[in-house]
Amino acid sequence: MEKNEILNQVLSVFHDVLDNEDIVLTYETTANDIEEWDSLSHIQLVVAIEKKFKLRFTSKEIQSWKNVGEMLDCIKEKVA
Amino acid sequence: MSFKAGDIYNLPFTVTNERYNGFIELFNDKNPLHTNDEFAVGHGFKGRVMHGNILNGFLSYFIGECLPKKDVIIHSQEIQFKNPVYLNDELQFKATILDVYESVNTVEFKYEFRNVETKVVAKGKIQIGILK
Repeated sequence: MEKNEILNQVLSVFHDVLDNEDIVLTYETTANDIEEWDSLSHIQLVVAIEKKFKLRFTSKEIQSWKNVGEMLDCIKEKVA
Repeated sequence: MSFKAGDIYNLPFTVTNERYNGFIELFNDKNPLHTNDEFAVGHGFKGRVMHGNILNGFLSYFIGECLPKKDVIIHSQEIQFKNPVYLNDELQFKATILDVYESVNTVEFKYEFRNVETKVVAKGKIQIGILK
């Protein structure tokens, strides 16, 4: 799956979980850029992404992400 | 983590007079559906219908007191009310772990309450976090 396709699917998860269709994601986006992305919604996002892509992250992987792009790289690796 | 997908928990609960009156005293919901037998019968029920949210109290007890770990917190819960519950109804509660998300220390349950006729009176999902 291409990284941009993953981005689009992740974006739909963000829209759904954060109840905001106006959210835009780029590879550089971080939690600081999205008001609704707090520590609790972060858990909901991770759970929803794990469900959507039928994969599992480790806590180490999650803690290592510096932005959305790194999260996408991690998903890409797992769905390859 | 001491939770795994497929784990099942069973508990009995009864909507006692004490719980019913306590709920009304605490939250002041005296809607006639919950307090007036005649009104409730007039709307097709067998009698006063217990507040559905009493069942949420049972859910709180289950998560807070009945799991193998005490360091837990409810992230979210949903409940669907399927059939009425009446005073002194004995309910059988069953919760099943749907999935465990170790990356974010999160556990997801589905649950149901059944009455003595084995009818589902309520069901839903709860997501909890394991505190660090």
